[in-house]
Amino acid sequence: MKVGFIGLGVMGRPMALHLQRAGHDLHVWARRPASVAGLPATVCQTPAELGRQCEVVFTIITSSADVEHVALGPDGLIEGMVPGSVLVDCSTIAPEAARHIAARLGEKGIAMLDAPVSGGAQGAIDATLAIMAGGKAEVLARVRPLLECLGQRIVHIGPSGAGQVAKACNQMIMVAAIQAAAEAMRLAAASGVDCGKVRDALAGGSAASRVLDVMGERMVRRDFAAGIEARLHHKDFGLVLAAARQSGVPVPLAAVVDQQLNALMAQGWGRDDTASLLRVLELL
Amino acid sequence: MKIGFIGLGIMGRPMALNLVKGGHEVTVWARRAESMRPLLEAGARAAVSPADAAQGNELVISMVADAPDVAEVMRGVASGAEPGLVAVDMSTIAPAAARQIGRDLAAAGVDFVDAPVSGGEVGAIAGTLSIMAGGSEAGFARAKPAFECLGRNIVHVGESGAGQVAKAANQIVTGMGVLAVAEAFAFATKNGVDAGKVREALLGGFAYSKILENHGQRMLDRNFKPGFKSWMHEKDLNIVMQTAHQLGLCLPGSAATAQMFNAMVGSGLGEEDSIAVLKLLERLSGQA
Repeated sequence: MKVGFIGLGVMGRPMALHLQRAGHDLHVWARRPASVAGLPATVCQTPAELGRQCEVVFTIITSSADVEHVALGPDGLIEGMVPGSVLVDCSTIAPEAARHIAARLGEKGIAMLDAPVSGGAQGAIDATLAIMAGGKAEVLARVRPLLECLGQRIVHIGPSGAGQVAKACNQMIMVAAIQAAAEAMRLAAASGVDCGKVRDALAGGSAASRVLDVMGERMVRRDFAAGIEARLHHKDFGLVLAAARQSGVPVPLAAVVDQQLNALMAQGWGRDDTASLLRVLELL
Repeated sequence: MKIGFIGLGIMGRPMALNLVKGGHEVTVWARRAESMRPLLEAGARAAVSPADAAQGNELVISMVADAPDVAEVMRGVASGAEPGLVAVDMSTIAPAAARQIGRDLAAAGVDFVDAPVSGGEVGAIAGTLSIMAGGSEAGFARAKPAFECLGRNIVHVGESGAGQVAKAANQIVTGMGVLAVAEAFAFATKNGVDAGKVREALLGGFAYSKILENHGQRMLDRNFKPGFKSWMHEKDLNIVMQTAHQLGLCLPGSAATAQMFNAMVGSGLGEEDSIAVLKLLERLSGQA
C-alpha cells in the first residue's frame, strides 16, 4: 500500500521504518529536508503532493496548530488526499482540534482517525506502542493492519476526539506518577536512606509501576537525559487542564503537577527527561 | 471630550453613564440595541457600529466579555478611526491578547491602552473603580480625564499589556483571598466556633483585608448573589494559569484555587458570587 508519513522525529522515524519494512511503499514529507535523509522512501515536496499519492497518511507532530497547518493549511493534505483515503494522526493534540480537523476532512470525503500513542521512543522502536483510536470503527478496521506494524494494544475508544481524550487521561496518570516517584525518592534521600534500595523494594509491591521502573531508575542514577522530553509533557498538561476546564471537572492533582512542570521549564530542563521533576523538588 | 463607548453590560452601562454625567459627549454602541436605551435617555448618541462609535471621536472605550470580542470591536474601531484616536479596552483579557491588539491598532495608527478595572458593579456605579493601565504615556494622558469619571485609584502600570498583568495579579490575590476566608470560616465552624466572632477578631489584626470584611460578611449572611460571578473569576484565573504555563512560572496556590473555581462552574455554582466557594468546601467536608 502507498503510505504517507509526516513527522519523522524520535517517534515518527522508527514508526515509518516499521511500515516500510512491512512492505509498504513509503512516502514522506518534512519541513526540514534533513529529517528525511537516508530514508527508503519517496520524498514529496508538500503535504498535498504526498496526500495525492497515498491511500493512508500518518502524522505525528507536536502541536494542535502544527497538525491543523499540515492537514488544512496551504498545500496541506486536504488539497491532495482523495475521497476514501485516511489520515491517521498519531500526534497528541486537543480533542477539539482533532474533531475540527476530522470534520473539515470529512467534508471532502477523507476519513480521519485520531490515534495518539503511548510507549515513548522505545515503544516506537520495539513496535510495542499502545494506540488509542478515535473515529469510525470501519475506518479503524481498514487501517488496523498498518497499526499492527506499530503496536500491539490497539483500542477503539469511541468517535472522533475520543483517542485524544484517552491520551490526556494517560498523560495525567503517567506524569502524576512521575511526580509521586520523585517525591518518594526525595523523601528517601532526605531521610538518609538509599534511593536505589527503596526503588528495588517498591518494585515488588503494590506501588510497582512502569513509571517507577523506568523513571525511578533514572532518578536513582541521576540520569536526566531524555527519554521523553519534559517539554512535551508540559505541553500535554496544557491540553489536560484546558479539557478539564471545558468540562468543568476539577483536577486538583494535575493542577499541582502542572505547576511543578512550569518550574521545570523555568529551569531550562524542558529538553531533559521528565524525571527532572526530582530536581524541581530539590530546589524547594 | 468626545468619547465612543462600546459594550453596555453590567459594568459598561454605569461606566458610560458616569462619562455622560461627567459632561463628556458620549456615543454608545452595544450588540443589542435595547441595552443602549438608558444611555440614550441620559443624553448619549447611538452609533450603528463600532466603526461609527470611533468616527469623529478622540477616545473610544470598550468593555466587553472576552479577547475575541475585544479584537472584533477594535477591528471595527480601526476602520472608523481618525488620526490621533486613542482606543482603550477596559475588559479583562490575557496580557498577550492585549499586546497583540495593541500592535494591530498601532499598525492602523491608533494608540491603544489596556485599562482593566477592579471594584465590580458597585464600583462602576459609584465611579470608584480601580483602573490599571498599560500603554504609552501619551495615550494614558489622553484617556485620563475619562478615567477620572470612572474610578479613584488610577495607575499607569507600564507598557502595553501591563494593565492586564496587574489585573491578573489582582485576580490571584482576590481568588486566593476569597478561598482563604472561606477556608478559615469552614475551619472555625467545623471546630464548633462562631465564624462571625472569628471574623470580628481577625479584622483587627494582620489578617485584615477588604475581602475578610466584605466577602466575609456576605459568607456569614449566606448571601451568594453576585457581585462577581464565579464563572467570571474562573475565566480570569484561567488567564493567570495560561500565562503562567506559557512563561514557565510555578504558581501552586493559584493552580489549586483555579481548580476550586473550575469545580464551582462544573457543579452549577457559576452564576453565584465567587464566595460560593464556601459551599464547595462545605460539600467536600460534609458540612453542607
